[in-house]
Amino acid sequence: VSTKKDNLQKQFNAVHSCMGCGDCGYAIRPAVELNLTCPVKEVHPTSFEPFFSRGKMVIAKGLLDGDLEYSSALAEIIYQCTECGACHETCHQSRNPSIENFVCRWIDHVKVWEALRRDLVEDGFAPLPDHARLLQGLKDAGARNPYGETLASRNNWLKTTPAASVITNDSDMMLFAGCTAPYRNPGPLQAFLTIVEAAGVSVSLSDQEWCCGSVALRIGDIETAREVAAHNADDWHAAGIKSVVTNCAGCYRTFAIDYPELLGKDAKLPLFQHTAIFALDLAAAGKLKFAEGEPQNVSYHDPCHLGRHMKVYDPPRDALKAVPGVTLVEMPHNRNNAWCCGAGGGLKSQFPQLAADIGKTRIQEFLMTGASSLVTTCPFCLSSLQGALKNAPLPGGTQPTVVDLLEFMAKNLAK
Amino acid sequence: MNPEILQRLQGIVTAPFATDDPYIAYSYSKNVDPVLKGVPDIVIRPGSAEEVAEILKVANQERLKITPRGGGCCEFGGSKPIGDGGIVLDLKRMDKILEINEENMSVTVDAGISWGALNAKLAKQGLYTGCMGPGSGMVASVGGGISHNSVGGGGCAKYGACTKQLLGLEVVLPSGEIIHTGAQANKFTKVPFGRYGNGPDLAGLFAGDNGIFGVKTKVSLQIFPRPQFANYKTFVLKGNTAQSGAKIMQRVRREGIDVYDLFYLPDIVTTVMSAQDMFKPWKNVKRLKGMVFYTVEANSDAELTEKCKSLDGIITTEKGTDIGPEIADGNIAKWHYVEQGHWQIYHSLWGITPTSEPCTAECFAPINDFPAILADLDGWEGAHKAEIDKILAIAGARPIVGSGPIMLLGENDVEITCGFTTYPHKEAREINLALWQSIIEFVTQRGVQWYMMGDFCSHVFTKMGAYAPEYYTLLQNLKKTLDPNNVLSPGKFSLFEEAADK
Repeated sequence: VSTKKDNLQKQFNAVHSCMGCGDCGYAIRPAVELNLTCPVKEVHPTSFEPFFSRGKMVIAKGLLDGDLEYSSALAEIIYQCTECGACHETCHQSRNPSIENFVCRWIDHVKVWEALRRDLVEDGFAPLPDHARLLQGLKDAGARNPYGETLASRNNWLKTTPAASVITNDSDMMLFAGCTAPYRNPGPLQAFLTIVEAAGVSVSLSDQEWCCGSVALRIGDIETAREVAAHNADDWHAAGIKSVVTNCAGCYRTFAIDYPELLGKDAKLPLFQHTAIFALDLAAAGKLKFAEGEPQNVSYHDPCHLGRHMKVYDPPRDALKAVPGVTLVEMPHNRNNAWCCGAGGGLKSQFPQLAADIGKTRIQEFLMTGASSLVTTCPFCLSSLQGALKNAPLPGGTQPTVVDLLEFMAKNLAK
Repeated sequence: MNPEILQRLQGIVTAPFATDDPYIAYSYSKNVDPVLKGVPDIVIRPGSAEEVAEILKVANQERLKITPRGGGCCEFGGSKPIGDGGIVLDLKRMDKILEINEENMSVTVDAGISWGALNAKLAKQGLYTGCMGPGSGMVASVGGGISHNSVGGGGCAKYGACTKQLLGLEVVLPSGEIIHTGAQANKFTKVPFGRYGNGPDLAGLFAGDNGIFGVKTKVSLQIFPRPQFANYKTFVLKGNTAQSGAKIMQRVRREGIDVYDLFYLPDIVTTVMSAQDMFKPWKNVKRLKGMVFYTVEANSDAELTEKCKSLDGIITTEKGTDIGPEIADGNIAKWHYVEQGHWQIYHSLWGITPTSEPCTAECFAPINDFPAILADLDGWEGAHKAEIDKILAIAGARPIVGSGPIMLLGENDVEITCGFTTYPHKEAREINLALWQSIIEFVTQRGVQWYMMGDFCSHVFTKMGAYAPEYYTLLQNLKKTLDPNNVLSPGKFSLFEEAADK
């Protein structure tokens, strides 16, 4: 049975621009300390070609040529990917600002993976079971989040937040809390309000916030993503919001890149900001006073959605360095070469062992730095890396931690 | 394929590493070209020579065709089946460094390790492989490099093709027996140290064999200390730059100057790279034409200065102008050596426009022949204008005929990276194949030696009658002796005359 390939067809040039060199699976260049391959391929039990970019591209060529059709079996392969974009970065690696290889101009790998997923959903071969459960939560009018928690309880985290009083409906800057933090780990949100309070500013918070839609987009359910995006945009518009700040790297990428595509270029959208940039601005403006701290080595994990997808590398590092006593110690894979935590692209929900194994490799890299804390700026990364650390054998006498940037900053504020 | 065969194979490698999943199989159906395809029935990732041997024994019993695959970077379809069916042996799982012997300056590795991974490890000890393998060396396997007599990854002017550093091989013969070549043909020998002696050099039988005589499972190579001093310069040429490039290379050889790399970039390469803004500093170069760039290494500053002086003198005599010391000045040689752009320089010539891919005619020729071959290619293009126009009509873009870099090799010869870039549209497939066959025949008739030959080139070369009959008969007899059931890489060189269906 011939399946529709409408979304993939739009990626014809990208798919056929892949030469098949395989750098995306094996790139290693010692002179510039480059060892950037595919995290899924590196931990996969078989590492056959489709478990990194090149093999998926050959399959995409087969689909476009009519040699292959979509199926449930193919969905099982295509979704074994974090959409972290390491393949894209590798493909673009002349590693010198004066040189730009041609091929990289024509391929946006993540767009190809998303086109495959959209086709699979539209043809009825996806979502996979665990992804379907997440989508059900988004579609549920009483939930509107992938965890299936009630919409009414979304802001319950405020009840245990000391600085909750900085929330005001008068502010035209809105905090977008996301889903993972309020329902699973509100610490970073509470820290954000502590920082906001210390800086003497205020933010608003909607009681009509829905999931940003990132989960639906990464799974390939474009209609559900469009529905929640339209709702959130209407909510902001109705409240007169001029800027939205979020602590979730996934939400941030979705707002900045996907919302204009989903809602059209004429959609009236506010400015979007990640809390790492916001907090750095407050610190740089002298609005945050930090305690004189003990010297400590800290490492930073770039979330894929904030780093490779949004190119935000320096602000979180600069925010960390604003804390007295902090020495930033980079892991070998950092910035645009950062290793995924394993949670992206729906991998953790559908293929948890693969995700855990990727997180494990990242934590091993962190432990080798000898730093006391691993700081990140994404609730998914936070959860994955905290889980990986829990299971990691620790060097004797050490108690390293994985913390969110905001919690790290709030903890070091002057009393 | 009979499911019992898959079960037997899964029993050899443990189940997950052998599969007949149609999507996984399809993902092994293509290499680095726009038209060739062959979908295997089964893909296996063996973990040892013993597993490879058992797989080959099953293949003989069941008359299965086996295609060994390293990095999958063959430009002539050599690491996918010819026609559909059979088994692809994905050897990249065998990727360990088994011994770095600094006393004897040798390294022994599993054949599936990449040149990049091997050299990353060696670099930490101040060592390298000399020739850094092929231009695709970040991915290409050491075993694949030996199978193709690879060049292109740097160091070839000084060290020659990667087979020059070959000390010995562990090979699984098509029948499933495991042999060791070179010094280790003597079962009492502890370490690899040379190929010749103990009778004929049987490593040479497998070096450049395109995978038809055996599956390489371990490779021993010479290693070298990486000199502490190096310099790298890029020069713009004037007039007939191909002639100047050839003269420079000839003088370097005649005067015995020890150069690590020496490349000539034809006018079309520098022009396109500049026009497309690939190498931004070249925008500022007045009268941009062909270029040469070199790298020299030395063990002292004085030695380095002397070598550079000699080279600069030769290039200046040929009206070369030094472009400046930094990459930002346009010194591509520095990128090539210092940032290991040598493993990417060919990538930069692909994909000039969206979806364009090379139908390559990458070959070796004597230094003094390459200017004429490049000039003749212009004639070939003119003679095939009608076909090229047809592809333009189908793809909306015109194929580009010409050559990428010309690289000085270790035997007073050069590598010519010529061919044409074209487009993968299905409607253009037959025209592409006809043009590709034509350009391979055309270049063969100019007396070249071929680099990798794989599926397509070996087939064209054989069918056009390029082999002397006696030589071809010997080749056939060797194949039939080693592989009487024709299970290994069947179709390459048409040795059993089972012409592949193109």
